Amino acid sequence: MSAYILPVLLLVLLVVCVIKRVKVYDCFLGGARDSLSLVKSVFPYIAAIFVCIEAFKASGLADMVARALQKPLSYIGIPSEIAQLMLLVPLSGNGTVALLESIIAEHGVDSYVARCAAVISGASETIFYISAVYLSACKTKKLRYAIPVSLFCTLLGTVTACALCRVM
Amino acid sequence: MNVAFTALTLVSLVILTVTAPATAFPVMIDGVRNAIVLALKLAAIYAVWLSVLQMAEATGLDKKLSRLLRPVVVRLFKKESDEAYDWISVNLAANMLGMGGVATPAGIRAMSAMERGERATDNMILLLVINATSIQLIPATVIAIRAAAGSENAASVFLPTLISTTISTASGVLLCKALSLPSNAKNKGLSSDFHAIKPSICKNHKARSLKK
Repeated sequence: MSAYILPVLLLVLLVVCVIKRVKVYDCFLGGARDSLSLVKSVFPYIAAIFVCIEAFKASGLADMVARALQKPLSYIGIPSEIAQLMLLVPLSGNGTVALLESIIAEHGVDSYVARCAAVISGASETIFYISAVYLSACKTKKLRYAIPVSLFCTLLGTVTACALCRVM
Repeated sequence: MNVAFTALTLVSLVILTVTAPATAFPVMIDGVRNAIVLALKLAAIYAVWLSVLQMAEATGLDKKLSRLLRPVVVRLFKKESDEAYDWISVNLAANMLGMGGVATPAGIRAMSAMERGERATDNMILLLVINATSIQLIPATVIAIRAAAGSENAASVFLPTLISTTISTASGVLLCKALSLPSNAKNKGLSSDFHAIKPSICKNHKARSLKK
């Protein structure tokens, strides 16, 4: 069913375009032109973040930090297997999906840990990626309290997720 | 961002140099390769979605859709232009439906429309925090992964996900509003002659970046 939603919406839009005599071809050219300039302005930010993530993972630093975090996290009800996922979530969407799949493979899809991991992946965003890309067209450099607040609230959401998965 | 990036990369590189010096450069180049692959994917997605957005704009449909979210957006983001409100509405609506391809370009445009120089404004931070705490209503990818892994009830994560993302976003909005109060009080007298003080801000920034 849900597979029909987007194509039908697009068809409706095209029909409306025809009725209102909008130049569809020109719109497409404009969109394609904007897309390249948008990606061009976004690319340096993606490249920087990806280099950082690769080095962070390959050096084993990610594992070390995750291991160091396991104890304090267990005090607020977060299982130790989730620590690495929590580190990856604000950095990389693809990485999160990959780690979620490996957690599911290791613990079984309906286990407590795998359900926690699924809820956390579904309820969180790539904070650093978003803040770099969204501001890529701006001159704004000072983000002030944006990232600390986002990280703290994601942590709140994660604690909630782990608690909810115990009862739901 | 500069501090976080430098610190993280520096420590990682020190470890890499000690443990596996031969991999240091390939690792960084791999990072950029992944970035290029993603950028090309994004270019394709944006090309389609931006043309759809242009059509929606030309027919006036976007105005009608964003009017649904408009009352909430106007209340959350005070004193912005109509253009900013339109892009914010598109961004939030697309994110709720999990359409990152539309949400990101709309978010970038919204930020440009709200920009006021070097420092991010309270409204820009609010939009960033709302996006960064996730407002996706249906975690389609996660449910699909669980279904593919043979879960008995793949969609059972739906409610916990909705609750925890609501809590993170609501606490984010509250914190932003609380943190923006003191700076609002301070800037009230300054905002009207913003253009007059702009050069001094630039000078300050130059001095600061030289120090770094």
